[in-house]
Amino acid sequence: MAVCVAVIGKDNSPLYIGGIGNDCSTDNELSRQWLVHTALDALEERLATSSSINANSGNSTAHTDLRDLYGYVTNTRIKLVLVTSSTSPSGSNIRDAEVRTALRRLHALYADAICNPFHLPGDQITSVKFDKQVKSLILNNV
Amino acid sequence: MRSSVSYILSDAPGESVMSHPDYSQQAQHHGCLLILVKGIGGVLKNFNKLWDRVQKVNNIKVTDSQGQIRDIWVRYVQDYPVENNDWGDFQTHRRLLGLITFSKYTNQVELNEVCRVHESLKVKYSNTLYDSRAFIFGPGTNLKRPVQEPETYSVYEDDKLSKEKTSTCDRISLPSEAAESLSSAESFSRSPSSTASYSNQEENFTTPSNFKTHAMFYGENDPMLDMEQQISDLINSLFWVVESKRLERSKEKLEKVSLLLVPFEKKDYVGLDMESRNNKKRCMGRVTKNLADLTLQAGLVADSLSLYHSAAEILKSGNDWLWLAAAKEGHCAASAILLYPNLKNSTPLQRNASLQESSPYKMKSLSLCQPSDPVRKFKMNASPSKSKMSSPVNLPSDLTPSSSESIETSSRQSELENADTESLASCSDMEYQSQKSYLTPDLPSIPRQPSSQLHNQYLLNGEDIVLKYRKAIIHYSKYQNAGIIETEACFKAARIAVEQGNCLQASSFLQNIVFINLTLSEQEKIQRFDTLAELYKDIGFLRKAAFCQRLAATRHVSVNNPNPDWQRCYYFMLHSFPGHKLCLDPDYVIQHQVGWPVLQIEVLHEIVVAARRMGHPALATRHMTYLLQTLWPHLSRLQQREFAIQLQALSAQCEGGPVPLVLETGEVIPPANLTHVPHCLHFNPRPLEATRTPHLINSKPQHGPFIFTPIHFGSLERKSKKEEGKMDHLWVQDDICEVQLKLTNPLPIELKVSNMLLLTTGIVFESIPETIILPPDSPTTVNLHGTPKEEGDLQILGYSTHTLGVKSNCRLKHMPMPNKFPASFTVSVIPSLPIISIETCVTVSGGVNVFGPDSGSTNISLYNGESTDCSIKITNTTFYVLKVLLCNNVVRTERDPTVMVGWAFCIFRISTNSHTTNWSAPISVMPPSRGRQIESQILIRYSGGEGKEVHCRESTLQFNLELLPSVSITHWDVLPAEIAYHQQCGSEVAPDADQCFWQSFGEGHHIISGYDRHCSNVTLKLGVILKTLEESTKAYHECTVVFLTPGEYKIDIQCSTTEPLSDYPSKDLEHSSITQPCVGEVSHVWRFIPPVAISVTD
Repeated sequence: MAVCVAVIGKDNSPLYIGGIGNDCSTDNELSRQWLVHTALDALEERLATSSSINANSGNSTAHTDLRDLYGYVTNTRIKLVLVTSSTSPSGSNIRDAEVRTALRRLHALYADAICNPFHLPGDQITSVKFDKQVKSLILNNV
Repeated sequence: MRSSVSYILSDAPGESVMSHPDYSQQAQHHGCLLILVKGIGGVLKNFNKLWDRVQKVNNIKVTDSQGQIRDIWVRYVQDYPVENNDWGDFQTHRRLLGLITFSKYTNQVELNEVCRVHESLKVKYSNTLYDSRAFIFGPGTNLKRPVQEPETYSVYEDDKLSKEKTSTCDRISLPSEAAESLSSAESFSRSPSSTASYSNQEENFTTPSNFKTHAMFYGENDPMLDMEQQISDLINSLFWVVESKRLERSKEKLEKVSLLLVPFEKKDYVGLDMESRNNKKRCMGRVTKNLADLTLQAGLVADSLSLYHSAAEILKSGNDWLWLAAAKEGHCAASAILLYPNLKNSTPLQRNASLQESSPYKMKSLSLCQPSDPVRKFKMNASPSKSKMSSPVNLPSDLTPSSSESIETSSRQSELENADTESLASCSDMEYQSQKSYLTPDLPSIPRQPSSQLHNQYLLNGEDIVLKYRKAIIHYSKYQNAGIIETEACFKAARIAVEQGNCLQASSFLQNIVFINLTLSEQEKIQRFDTLAELYKDIGFLRKAAFCQRLAATRHVSVNNPNPDWQRCYYFMLHSFPGHKLCLDPDYVIQHQVGWPVLQIEVLHEIVVAARRMGHPALATRHMTYLLQTLWPHLSRLQQREFAIQLQALSAQCEGGPVPLVLETGEVIPPANLTHVPHCLHFNPRPLEATRTPHLINSKPQHGPFIFTPIHFGSLERKSKKEEGKMDHLWVQDDICEVQLKLTNPLPIELKVSNMLLLTTGIVFESIPETIILPPDSPTTVNLHGTPKEEGDLQILGYSTHTLGVKSNCRLKHMPMPNKFPASFTVSVIPSLPIISIETCVTVSGGVNVFGPDSGSTNISLYNGESTDCSIKITNTTFYVLKVLLCNNVVRTERDPTVMVGWAFCIFRISTNSHTTNWSAPISVMPPSRGRQIESQILIRYSGGEGKEVHCRESTLQFNLELLPSVSITHWDVLPAEIAYHQQCGSEVAPDADQCFWQSFGEGHHIISGYDRHCSNVTLKLGVILKTLEESTKAYHECTVVFLTPGEYKIDIQCSTTEPLSDYPSKDLEHSSITQPCVGEVSHVWRFIPPVAISVTD
């Protein structure tokens, strides 16, 4: 199941990192940041090696000890990262198709969030609505 | 990547399980002979130097029995666990074959100890050790070389087969022997070591009888010219043993071989039917694999490929996964050796190359293969002792040719030399090529191996290597006890992938390492992370590398670690900076805000702790300052406060200063300056105050032709050329100048900023320290002062502060973003000018009012007609001769622009140092008819000092003169007429001034009260001489007027005096251009306004 979602700007700055779990605990927040941060290298490498820019559906994965990371890159090089725990409670592995839909939905949510005329591109996403929707996505979808 | 199959053999790890991973292994090490290099006995100061020298001899070329040149590579280690040696059957490169010790002794006891340790090391690795060398340093240079018994190795006793082989081979390998002997012959004249010590002996040291090692004795400071030679000698002898083993193995009958086992397998094969088909296959496969290993080590890389291939085939059919994996890995390693020769020899060759230039003896050994040198040839033939020296004295008996043989060989050798010339030349060429390929790393590397080998059908290409390695690792992963083998394989595979430039493959290999579950000591875990980090760095995964380094750092100080090492922790943290996009220079980080602030804060906070625990408070302070400085905008208010307080506590131990800190490793931590605390909103160099502002003496407008052109050449450049931060105003040398700052304290606590100074460059500037206390969150204006000590352009770069225990140089160009300051402010400083202070002294009504130099204006109140004295005191407060250039005055009255009061000084005076000039001018006021306020300014232009030619100063002295009326008509009355047409007017005149006026006015003056009668424009003047008005008394006058016709009348009431009002002291002034009061019949008139209007009726 998905545990964390991150939106990363084209300059690799964190725009949004959210996940389920005890949110207020900074420890959790930190570990999430570490997780996504270290996965950025592999993401970048994959992006650099893929010649074409039609990375809209470019799906890349990186694995850490307990988590699988799925990346999704928009045309504007915004990276959407979905972290799933590889040990799913049901025991079955998450199918790629599921991840794909989840990421598409996330992309749509992101597009909605930056449609806000008061949002400056490149700024952190502080929208409460986005946060709420992302959390429901994490909980329900995957 | 890991096999999903659970561990096949999941025994509890026994003692034989290899438990010490070697993270530095590379695929190329499969083809290397392993030699242990150890410093034993007393501490050798130059062991590291020796170690470097030994490492350079990592490759020799040996001509084998077929005349083929073998390239033999060696790997030196400083430590080798015996357990790993037990895996020598599995992968022969894990066998420790040679031993080199370096030791020092000063007396017999120490010598005995050294020999004992050496022998015990031999025993420790006795299973695999073939040969050893001991380099022993004695006191002084003149030594007795202890006589020894020949060295014997049990291994050789067993190797009956190899005996003859090696001895014959020895003979065949003469060219290299010859080369060796040559170098020793050359070094003979210079080196007093081993050989020379025979003759001259002062002390007799003897080695213990059980010391049976080929030992070399040197004086403590001997250059050890033949060390390289001795080592290649050792390698040579090792090669022949390996070669013999290889030949032995290759001649074995495959049906009869015994099963080779890895240590943990031994139990499993007890009581198994070894005759089964499957086990037969296993035996064959394993032996083939073993042969392939030996072949690879013996320098026959191409041959090993096919052997590995067939071994893999056999093992696959026998389902022997562990050995299959090893065969696959060997196959990959052999292919990698051929494909990526640079991977192996990069570092040592580099050293070789650098050494070539510096040390002559190295040159010699490298130029050995140039037989065209006639001198050397001659030497070779002429030197009788050559053979003695060339043949190692203590070679194992079965390897050493007898002395007669050696003489024979040496004579044969010269004959052979010509024949071998070609091959040697080609070998030297090859070596040269490989060196060249390294020296110019941009060029594609030239494979060291002949091209024919690259067309081997079993040679794997780059992709296949990775693929096969992956399979091998999956097979390894099935065995829990092979965890370390698997780990090492991952590292090796990753290194190959790095060489291939395939980052993703490399990262997946590295990622796999994390999953391998090993019981490792903390130290080994740290090493693992460190190696991971290094490799991640190689593929450019800096973030991952940083993550690993951080993990390694935390391991260093984890609770599980019995001996926490904060220093190492610190360095790991420090080196993880690039991965977190942090740079040691805070200004760079601020300008390029990249990276993840939350993580950066975390890392920096951890490094502060590490630095503090390490016992380096200066570093802790520096990093905390850095944290506050670079990540200020990302810190919450609470964090800001918390970190500021922490910084204060840290700096209490060691004050932070704006100087770079140099670490033990030579790294430099640049200074971090706090520009956020306090925050500067405004920075402005102020002009000098008005009285001290310099003016041009000749400030004429420029008279030049004004040319207008619509053509702008490079107008853009010209516009941009306008210097930013160039101030219009001037500062004066030796004069106190001022810069105004507006600071805010962003912390919620009161902030004390002490020792605030201006940072300047250009000319000498003396800044005056300032200490301020800033309340939280309210902008405070601070003025910083200083004195320029030279003339020229002064650049103000910023200011320095000392707050929270940290000294900072806050430069304007590094100021945080919101306020844009120019990089520096430039102010022109002109040569020094004098300063005067002016004091005025006015005598009014008996009292004296003194107006000090600070009050720019002098206020005087005078009654009409009154006069007073005013003296002006000008003091030169500087040490320059002062020249007053101009002194004039301007008078402005409130309403009446006519000059009623005037004075003029046209004084040119020179006053010297701190002298005071006094002059007084009487002020007398002829009252204007209406004026009430008179402003008068005295302008003094003066100059002096060094800048007197161009600039001067202006002082203005302002007089505010208030005029008060001296007499007023206080009351009038129209009395009712007794007779028609008579009108009586009465008026009362009273002085409304005080006593002093009347006193100075004097007595005996008359007040004239007159009645003007305006009657159809006819003025009727009635004058009555009254009496002298006393002070504060009232005079009453009555007169009668008869109106003859009715109408509207206006009555003007005036009183006047006929005598001059004052004894104006005009005679005192020589230059008097004062308008004299008009002394006529009527000298002063007081009038009552408005006129009294009367209407007369019939």
